[in-house]
Amino acid sequence: MTESSAVIVGAGPAGISVAVTLAECGLQTTVVDENPLAGGQVFRQPPAGFQRAASAVSDSASRRGDELRRRFANLGDRIEFLGNRKVWGLFDSRRLAVANAAGWRMIQAERLVLAPGAYEFVPPFPGWTTPGVMTPGAAQLLAKSMHVLPGKRVLVAGTGPFLLVVANCLHDAGVRVVGVVECTTRSEALKAIPGLLSNLALASQGWRYLRRLRRAGIPIHTGHVILDAQGQEQVERVRFAPCDADWRPDRSRAVTVEVDTLCVGYGFIPRSELAQLAGCDMRWADELGGWIPATSEDGETSVNAVYVAGDGGGVAGALVAEYQGTLVGLHIARQAGAIDEATLQARRREVVRRLKKLRRFRRTLDKLSRVRPGLTELATDDTVVCRCEELTRSEVDIGVDAGCATYRSLKVATRLGMGPCQGRMCWPAMARRVALRTGRSMEQVGLISVRPPIVPMSVGELAEPESAETIRSGGSAT
Amino acid sequence: MEGALLRRSEDIQRGRQLRIFFNTEEVECYEGETVAAALLASGRQVLRRTARRGEPRGVFCGMGVCFDCLVQIDGRSNRQACLTTVKDGMQVETRAADGSWGSQR
Repeated sequence: MTESSAVIVGAGPAGISVAVTLAECGLQTTVVDENPLAGGQVFRQPPAGFQRAASAVSDSASRRGDELRRRFANLGDRIEFLGNRKVWGLFDSRRLAVANAAGWRMIQAERLVLAPGAYEFVPPFPGWTTPGVMTPGAAQLLAKSMHVLPGKRVLVAGTGPFLLVVANCLHDAGVRVVGVVECTTRSEALKAIPGLLSNLALASQGWRYLRRLRRAGIPIHTGHVILDAQGQEQVERVRFAPCDADWRPDRSRAVTVEVDTLCVGYGFIPRSELAQLAGCDMRWADELGGWIPATSEDGETSVNAVYVAGDGGGVAGALVAEYQGTLVGLHIARQAGAIDEATLQARRREVVRRLKKLRRFRRTLDKLSRVRPGLTELATDDTVVCRCEELTRSEVDIGVDAGCATYRSLKVATRLGMGPCQGRMCWPAMARRVALRTGRSMEQVGLISVRPPIVPMSVGELAEPESAETIRSGGSAT
Repeated sequence: MEGALLRRSEDIQRGRQLRIFFNTEEVECYEGETVAAALLASGRQVLRRTARRGEPRGVFCGMGVCFDCLVQIDGRSNRQACLTTVKDGMQVETRAADGSWGSQR
């Protein structure tokens, strides 16, 4: 048993913010994360032992991350950080099975906060499994945290402002960025300008990213979509073409570029598997990236004492995640009796006000980057659509046409989603294809079914949990 | 690709230099790097071959979601290269198309 007021899964901006808020109210928390250091993907740090020079470039987002991590570290006596840990199961809604390299153990959470974040959406297209094709997030982690270049000549493609961030990051790191390919058409982007200007700070940040790319002579191909990546052992060429408002390409006008790396991502998908395991009511929210747990404004789910904060509850970026984390933290602090009602209401009001100020900006971006049908048509019959099981699109279509229109039925019939990623990579795109092909709604097609272990564990590993001493980082009594 | 060229030199002081083994080859790397980063930095993009089509795979999501970077590490199969930190003398082996470990075929 842990004395923590809450166990928080995920140490990105949302999870850190929950822990810091609770710690500042005098409460103990336990934070579990897959990575050795706190920060999540967006504020990922270089590994311990690496030292950044003081001259290293910093922008407002990284300063925000530094500030959040500093508060997290300063409150270390109240925050038990369990890094390098994977949650492989969740039982009776709040009993967590947590594994590290040595073994695993159960942690009973009095309250459970899920802050798992999101991962990038990449619909299948010919050549997308070739080494050298990776997500923009993967390239950014390599360059920013590991200080390793993902390649020498890189094309950045997909949709959303994150592409601009990554293109800048790679350019600064010394990569030859040959261009940015963005599905959104120029005219649609221009129409969004008033909505984006509703938040001047974020809009000017985006403008700076654009201007820096322009000054570096990096072309931005708006209204274009990737067709395919070519190469045997590694990417050698990538083709892209102009697309319409539904992101359907005009293949007759395809352009070929020679690159060794293609970074491609079309926005983000909330990581929903722990909320599903906890038994939370889930809802389909296209504009927020997919299936998310239904929550109150304070992040309460339908399950008692289980909360969600950040992108895992709907993709909205690091700033919103941080504010949501504060709201969850304040709510729990009040529940635990660490703050009075007046303090809760006063602090809550301020955070809600800040979230409201971001709303119009967020909605404009959500609308711009919502996934269009053209993306689900990029794969050809023989394109692998399930990376784990190597199923081609035609093999899955046979299952769909035979009447399988849900994840579970397709899994049984075709092995789609049967591999180690458990449908996380294939299903978001295939669900859209099934919906289009059968005329059903995304709600009817449904979401992946999740059952533990949610990360691959051998039977031997499951049979032998390690003693508490080897897996806990020390500190609080068990 | 030359490995040295894929490590950024500016603004950073790395940890202790280590070496790992990639199948039978020695790979220089630094304490704190992930196996995936160390291999990419040395110009090794292909981390395994698939069972059904024998196709090469490398780093894709880089954050532990896609399971494309599965390798065998110190005899333990199906470890994620992107989430595993290098240790001196670590033995990293790739999965061949026939399911055996330790070769690139």
